[in-house]
Amino acid sequence: MIEVEGLTKLYDKFPAVSDLSFAVRPGEVLGLVGPNGAGKTTTLRCLSGIIPATRGSVRIAGEDLARNTIAAKRQLAFFADEPRLFEYLTVWQHLVFTARIYQIAQFEEIGRRLLAELEMADKVNLLPGELSRGMKQKLAIACGLLHAPKVIFFDEPLTGLDPLGIRRMKDSILNRAKDGAAIIISSHLLHLLEEVCSHVLILKSGRKILDGTMDEVLQKSSVHAGDANLEEVFFRATSDAKENA
Amino acid sequence: MIGALIYLQLQSIKNRLRMRLRRLKRPKYLIGAAVGVAYFYFFFFRNLFVGRRPTAGAADIATPETLLLFELVGALGLFLMVLAAWVFPHERAALLFSEAEIAFLFPAPVTRRTLIHFKLLRAQFAILFTTFFLTLVSGRFGQRGNAWIHAAGWWLILSTLSLHTLAASFVRTRLLDLGVSNWRRRIIVLSVVALLAAAAMRWAKSAIPAPASSDLVDLAALSDYLRHALESGPALYTLLPFRLLARPYLAPDAHAFLAAVIPAAALMLLHYWWVIRADVAFEEASVDLSRRFAERMAAARSGNAWHPASRAKKAKSPPFVLRPTGISAVAFLWKNLISAGHAFTLRTWIFLAFFAVCAGIPIGLSSSTEGWLLPAVGIMTVILMAYSLFLGPAILRQDLRQDLANADVLKMYPLRGWQVVLGELLAPAAILSGVQWCLVLLATATFSRFPEDNPIPLSTRLSLGAAVAIIAPMLNLVSLIIPNASVLLFPAWIQTGRQHVGGIEVMGQRLIFMLGSVLVFGFALLPAAGLFGLVYYFVRMLLGELVAAPLSAAVAATVLAGEAALAIRWMGRLFEKFDLSAESAG
Repeated sequence: MIEVEGLTKLYDKFPAVSDLSFAVRPGEVLGLVGPNGAGKTTTLRCLSGIIPATRGSVRIAGEDLARNTIAAKRQLAFFADEPRLFEYLTVWQHLVFTARIYQIAQFEEIGRRLLAELEMADKVNLLPGELSRGMKQKLAIACGLLHAPKVIFFDEPLTGLDPLGIRRMKDSILNRAKDGAAIIISSHLLHLLEEVCSHVLILKSGRKILDGTMDEVLQKSSVHAGDANLEEVFFRATSDAKENA
Repeated sequence: MIGALIYLQLQSIKNRLRMRLRRLKRPKYLIGAAVGVAYFYFFFFRNLFVGRRPTAGAADIATPETLLLFELVGALGLFLMVLAAWVFPHERAALLFSEAEIAFLFPAPVTRRTLIHFKLLRAQFAILFTTFFLTLVSGRFGQRGNAWIHAAGWWLILSTLSLHTLAASFVRTRLLDLGVSNWRRRIIVLSVVALLAAAAMRWAKSAIPAPASSDLVDLAALSDYLRHALESGPALYTLLPFRLLARPYLAPDAHAFLAAVIPAAALMLLHYWWVIRADVAFEEASVDLSRRFAERMAAARSGNAWHPASRAKKAKSPPFVLRPTGISAVAFLWKNLISAGHAFTLRTWIFLAFFAVCAGIPIGLSSSTEGWLLPAVGIMTVILMAYSLFLGPAILRQDLRQDLANADVLKMYPLRGWQVVLGELLAPAAILSGVQWCLVLLATATFSRFPEDNPIPLSTRLSLGAAVAIIAPMLNLVSLIIPNASVLLFPAWIQTGRQHVGGIEVMGQRLIFMLGSVLVFGFALLPAAGLFGLVYYFVRMLLGELVAAPLSAAVAATVLAGEAALAIRWMGRLFEKFDLSAESAG
């Protein structure tokens, strides 16, 4: 469960995110969309505890991120658009290191299963420099899922993946949601979000301009019932916001 | 077309300067710039405004004979540089362009000759800067008005060398296309040089009286012989073009310069004609070179070592088995020791310690032997220990300085900031302490007497060795805390982000940082040093000298540990608030 209340992030005086509130329950997948510079990545970085919020509160699986930081971080995983790996650690050594950080006693079994799922079982001794971009992303995912997080954030998860990788990633997201994880995905690929997300939140200039379940959002913005898609909704919502502004 | 390329170059310089000037709005850059400017003023420019100090350059007070010798030696140096351009390189001709330049210029309707002109133009910016810098550091400004002669001399030398290197790379490529391998080319070039050298030596042997053995310690006699040998026979003709090139720089006055500059300029123009007439395909090699250069720059900016694809890195075995549960900071020690490489495995340390004992004990036991070896080894070992304390943190960077590019990953971990900071400090502290313990072993075994033959009893050596071994890890921890805290406080100064930083203000910041580091380290040592002295004084009175040093060291180490703990807590809080993206954006 992710509960966000009045989240604001200022860089000096510039508001990257303003007074954002929403909730994502277990099993739900929220699509975070918005034009470039809307504040999507900043929001995800605040929610995952990478940068502190200027104002507002964030609860991760019931734990307040500001007060019980460690307990909250134990429940979450964040996958950045560019996989960040230690170039001198092999695939397996990444899992060993992550296991010690998260204190996962039985990590070997989980790790082997994850690597097999991600078709990396034969790459355990390779360094990140010897992996393709897709494989690096899979390794980052294996590290992130090792501690079975209840809350998962994806920032542009399909960047650099081939069609098969995209299909597998979509399945993986849906499976995690089915297992009860609360997930937020930030992406510009609106058709992906339409396929995967149960909820949508549209951001513009750091402010929420529309949110709700996928059906609600489509209905709210459609002129003729049943003919709208997320792409149209996005363009209408962001252009309306511009006009209102 | 060349107009567009000049526009590109000038606008790039202008925008870079504007960016740096804009950066001065931030106080830390402004202060840095002030210190950088002050440094340049006091070390280089002061003489420009207040007149030259009396220590004139050698060329200005030189006799014609000395000037001739300088010319010959300079020509010999230039000859060796040119020879290197023909012998060492093995790649095809490749002009270094940035990846953006390749993306814009190579598909554009730009002739190869225009690209070469662009490259030459850009090289001129670097050459002019180097000329200015060399003229400054060689103390030429403000010296009897000869600065312009030396600047022009440097410019001619550097430009001609640059053109020659480029032309040589074109010829190398042409030869490779004709099937002449690198090794064949090298053999031919070196054979010609060997023949010339043999002819010159033979001629010198027959025409110039060989120096007597007593002349070998007489500098004047030796330089006289060298001047005669290089100024006549085959050496005269071989070195002539190089002497022509060196002559304008050494000209003592304007009249001599004007006489010397015409042949040197002709030589440079000849090289220019050679370069632009060459029609060699350099594009493919340039693309490859630019890619490798971009990789190297990216690796340097992210704090990682660059490894060319041809020498791909190998996975390193871990220094110990990391269990999945236990103190989290140990995970960072494990990770960073892997990063440090094979040189820092347990096996290496056992070997080093074994070597220190095996090599040191026999030398130390021979304390009755007279001579310089024993004190020399002992003093060297102690000096190395002191150096390791100051240079170690600069060399070993397997800590926050290396990992700050991955700050987002580290901050996501369910760890307190101080746990991450402590973990990051452990690896370099452990490596440094290991090195110092080996040196302590060696010093204890070998430093059995002073140069004046005063023996040092084994018990004293053991006592002092134990004291150093006790305090060294804490000293290392404190000395490593300083650059790591600086990274968190001023990431833009330490160059950990993705943005390349440079310029006079950054140089000033680094000077401030160096000075600040020494001051902070000194302050950090004060309480420990005070307590060390106090404890040593009383324990020595009560229990004797042997116990005093290790016990005082243990007390001082405890004080340092306390300071380190406080600093790590504070750094942990800094790390929790740290946002690299905000720093880069600024």
